[in-house]
Amino acid sequence: MYKDNQEGTTMEMEPAGAAVNVVEMSMQQALNRALMETLERDPKTLVFGEDVGRLGGVFRITDGLQAKFGSDRVFDTPLAESGILGMSVGLAMAGWHSIPEVQFDGFAYPAINQIVCQIGRMNYRSRGIMPMPITLRVPSFGGIRAPEHHGESLEALFAHVPGLKVVSPSTPHEAYHQLKYAASRPDPVIFMEPKSRYWQKGEVDLDNAGERTGSAVVREGKHATLVAWGAMVSRCLQVAELAAEDGIELEVLDLRWLKPIDAEGLAASVSKTRRAVVVHEAPRTSGLGAEVAAIINERCFRTLRAPVERVTGFDVPYPSGDLEDEYIPNIDRILFGIQRVLEYRRG
Amino acid sequence: MTVPEHQTVEGSDAQLHVEIHQPDEGTGPDGPTRPVLLLHGFASSSKLNWYDAGWLTALSGAGRRVITVDLPGHGRSGSPDELDAYAPSRMRADILQVLYDSHVRPFEEGNAASGVDLIGYSLGARLAWEFGATQPELVHRMVLGGPSTQDPLADFDLAGAQKYLADGTRMSDEQSYSLLKMAQMVPSNNIFSLLSMIEAIKSEPFTPSEAVPHMPMLLVAGEKDELAATMTDLAGLSPKAETLVLPARSHTNAVTSRAFKNAAIDFLAEHP
Amino acid sequence: MAEISFPLPDLGEGLIEATVLEWLVSEGDQIERNQPLVEVETSKSAVELPSPQAGKVVKTYGEPGGKINVGEPLIVFEVADDTAGIVGTVPREEAPKRRVRLSALPDDED
Repeated sequence: MYKDNQEGTTMEMEPAGAAVNVVEMSMQQALNRALMETLERDPKTLVFGEDVGRLGGVFRITDGLQAKFGSDRVFDTPLAESGILGMSVGLAMAGWHSIPEVQFDGFAYPAINQIVCQIGRMNYRSRGIMPMPITLRVPSFGGIRAPEHHGESLEALFAHVPGLKVVSPSTPHEAYHQLKYAASRPDPVIFMEPKSRYWQKGEVDLDNAGERTGSAVVREGKHATLVAWGAMVSRCLQVAELAAEDGIELEVLDLRWLKPIDAEGLAASVSKTRRAVVVHEAPRTSGLGAEVAAIINERCFRTLRAPVERVTGFDVPYPSGDLEDEYIPNIDRILFGIQRVLEYRRG
Repeated sequence: MTVPEHQTVEGSDAQLHVEIHQPDEGTGPDGPTRPVLLLHGFASSSKLNWYDAGWLTALSGAGRRVITVDLPGHGRSGSPDELDAYAPSRMRADILQVLYDSHVRPFEEGNAASGVDLIGYSLGARLAWEFGATQPELVHRMVLGGPSTQDPLADFDLAGAQKYLADGTRMSDEQSYSLLKMAQMVPSNNIFSLLSMIEAIKSEPFTPSEAVPHMPMLLVAGEKDELAATMTDLAGLSPKAETLVLPARSHTNAVTSRAFKNAAIDFLAEHP
Repeated sequence: MAEISFPLPDLGEGLIEATVLEWLVSEGDQIERNQPLVEVETSKSAVELPSPQAGKVVKTYGEPGGKINVGEPLIVFEVADDTAGIVGTVPREEAPKRRVRLSALPDDED
């Protein structure tokens, strides 16, 4: 078990009786520790990107890594995302596992050509001869009142590219274990770090990772399922707490892997609750919520009591910091979505 | 404070811009409270008189739902061509329409959501006085800022202003000239509409003793507010009027006063 | 702890100065972002300025009646060091606030 310090909710992760090595840390520290251990474990791993070396990253995720592992394995690059990812492709061909960082989500756009046309396809194109073991860390989503290009939600863009895997952790425990897991896989993984959660502390069970693939039910309930990922998971847990005051028991499903989506886990939860609200920061149209809703329709059509509700950002360019509170789904918008699925009646 | 609702009065074509602002804390334990209608002064606007001066923050923070309306030719309201649109009697009729459209219902004893409270400043105080007197079943309590027994606009040198605007001839009446200059500084004002309003006000001068509001009223003015020098006389017309003088404040700068806001919020919260 | 200073903001329409009417916070106060800070009067109107920053007020400039030019210092705050670093700010953790209450009772009979 570990306790998410932020929400004060307790989540079952492991059967009782497992060895306990639980440390309280922020997501920032958890990611730093995961990188440290990965570089120690696998001498063929490299960390690079803008300001990740000497400075230790603008969010301090790579703090101390260059001092410990040297500038051959942890190094600064020019401000050229296409080059950062292009170099990752070449290194992968030569047998290296790159863990590059694009400093902010909005800076991934210049690298899209490398990500889509090379990283996503190389394994397929080479019939498995050239896998692309690349773990691309992308500080993602809004919530820190940053200027344009510094807060975006690109999960649907990445999830649409065949050959890529996409994951977003919601807690320090998830961040620590998912990053270590992603960096041990031969697949290209887009690792979307919810930057607004970097500073929130939580307990990390270092020894018991729990299931690394699929989704996770982080709160059980029976009236409706809230589906979320990244920073929206903690907000949905807050909403579930408030809904309980009104006698509504919400299940919260942390989707975790956005590609592939855990259709089984999604169907299991919604088959039980028979109602679903999917919450994301990205714009509504063609957002990942549409995919989630489609999977639920395919698998739970006969048990579903109401159309799947989407509570999302608006169909506008991600706004600058001052407008963030209006844009990102807030507690009331999520509650309205729940109200709509609860009061829906057929006929 | 949430994103305000916007509406424009339809049918009468008064082109009035109305905003409804919900309170910070939603509805209280006893359900919704009665709204507060804010009426701004001449050559001002809901934005300048209330929003920028901090009234929306203060009232929303006190849990009050707020309705603002920009007078014709002011703020974000339209500027109708016909003179009638600017007559105080017509403006009061349009305000009544705004309140009905905003679901304000007649005041009932014991129903905290019924009726409406009014806060008016300067010209808005005059309109509130007349509105309260003619709509006693709707208005619960009123706060009148910078009020006077006469409408200062009735003395405005309209011919001089029109000549000044036409060819720059210097205006002899200093008070009229400074009012005109002040009105010209606010880009949202339509200066010709404002002159139409003055013309209409001259045809309907303010005679407060003709109809006296019977609900409790708080009259507030700055100590240095020359335009409100007759506030005590105005208060004397009603046994239910109290007064508050704000030390060192003028007609222009009394609107931001924290003491004014606190007194208004406390006064409107009293029962009945 | 770090100090952060804010100048008198541009009040629009070419206004270059404002007169302080009344400070609504005092040195040493811990205040919230958007809390009313000070009343100032320009040649056009009087306005209440909301605080651009949460933090402890270290110093305020201008006594009531005194003039401040746009761009000159208005207030200094002491703020915590745990800012996001180069871009953005650390989100504040607040107790969840709600307006909406759920009223529908799920109808799960059939």
